Amino acid sequence: MRNGGENRGRLLLVILIVSSLFLITLDLRGVNVLDGLRNGTQTALSPFQRAGNVVLTPVKNFVNDITHLGRTRNQIEDLRKQNQKLREQLILRKNQDGEIEQLKSILDLAGTARFKIVSAKVISQGSSLAFTRTITIDSGSGNGIKKNMTVISGEGLVGVVKEVFTNSSIVMLATDPAFKVGVRIAGSQQIGILAGLGSSSANLQLLDNQTTIKVGDVLLARGSANAQPFVPGVPVGRVSSVSNAAGAVTQSATVKYFANFGALGVVSVVVKAPKADPRDALAPVAPVPTPIPTVTVFVTPSPSTSPSASSN
Amino acid sequence: MLLRRFGITGTIFSFFFMVQEALVNQLSFPAGGFSILLILTLLWAALSTPEVAAVVGFGGGILLDLSPSTSGPLGHWTLILVFMSYAIAFFSYGDENMRGNPLSLILMITLAQVIVLFSYVATGLLLGNVATSFSQTLITLLGSGIWTLVVTPLMLPVVVWLHDLAFDSRMRI
Repeated sequence: MRNGGENRGRLLLVILIVSSLFLITLDLRGVNVLDGLRNGTQTALSPFQRAGNVVLTPVKNFVNDITHLGRTRNQIEDLRKQNQKLREQLILRKNQDGEIEQLKSILDLAGTARFKIVSAKVISQGSSLAFTRTITIDSGSGNGIKKNMTVISGEGLVGVVKEVFTNSSIVMLATDPAFKVGVRIAGSQQIGILAGLGSSSANLQLLDNQTTIKVGDVLLARGSANAQPFVPGVPVGRVSSVSNAAGAVTQSATVKYFANFGALGVVSVVVKAPKADPRDALAPVAPVPTPIPTVTVFVTPSPSTSPSASSN
Repeated sequence: MLLRRFGITGTIFSFFFMVQEALVNQLSFPAGGFSILLILTLLWAALSTPEVAAVVGFGGGILLDLSPSTSGPLGHWTLILVFMSYAIAFFSYGDENMRGNPLSLILMITLAQVIVLFSYVATGLLLGNVATSFSQTLITLLGSGIWTLVVTPLMLPVVVWLHDLAFDSRMRI
């Protein structure tokens, strides 16, 4: 009797394992029904993600304020003086202002390059337990977004649209280890391939062994055929260190992305790129050090009192 | 009876899935974070018979596979969770030292979660998924283990209560 129960259990286990393998095989063969299942799940989850975003925004802002305590101390002091209702309103307002600022900088960038963009709010960050770096935005095919479109923020390249649903899209961030983009160095026009490392830095591999790269060089997207997945000229990052490994065929470097992936609130999807390449027009201007005025002080010694004078 | 039990279980899992996607995934936790659906599946398996655990692992795996942020093929999480859920239940079923002691349960779930994630990465490589760097993978594995160690004690009483509700049992933990 017990053997019969154990056999049934093993049979069930085998059936479930075979079913799993069957699903994997179907998915790897690209069966549309399975894609539809994920699409349907995302469509169903979209309203809950939006609601979750609304609920958690004050919490996220609070945590953000705590982590940037040095910078926002005065602001926090002001907020403490106000009552709970005003505090919530201020946090909400602050969030909206931040989004407007981000949107304004994106519009500046897109306006300079004459990109046609669709702006969207980030409604969810992908689980990093999936070992990918993704975000979900609240615009989808209904807003003209298609797969493989470039996603930018006010600072520069954010990623590329990976999946599109009716009201939302999933964006693969430039930090994803699978992310690769062709880049050129602003000014010298040397080209290379930038690959994500899973962090805020990326690895640049130059293609030509005759060229050199230096710290501080600005990288721009080289652009793809028909501007998909990458429109040309989008600022990507700045070289932070150069590797001169002996025996390497070409130079490689570590690049710090311009975009702040930890604070993405609003992003834009480039739905149409101009025919003309903006070349280096979008490259951010390097910060100019503020000259420190030199103050010359002339010291005139005061007449010292002589011992004889003091005794008088 | 069976329909009622799995109906309640399905509803509970769907609710946790929704909470994971709508709330937990919105927050950026350092070093990988955690998945309450994964913890729920492993805990549920630890409290069940091996057969029920395998079915629960299958259901939990399907939900994790349906998550829009999952990069692997549909069935990837399912396969791993069927194995791991069955294994957890197989080793702990009938062992009151394991099931009756919350500390043992928490440590077992934490270890199982790390093994599950490692298996996911390893099988992902075989299935053609692009892996992140070794150091990042290690950080995520260790980080998620620590997060699981923190979150599991908070979830344990709730999951035990829900399990009792679904299966009309009286667990003593």
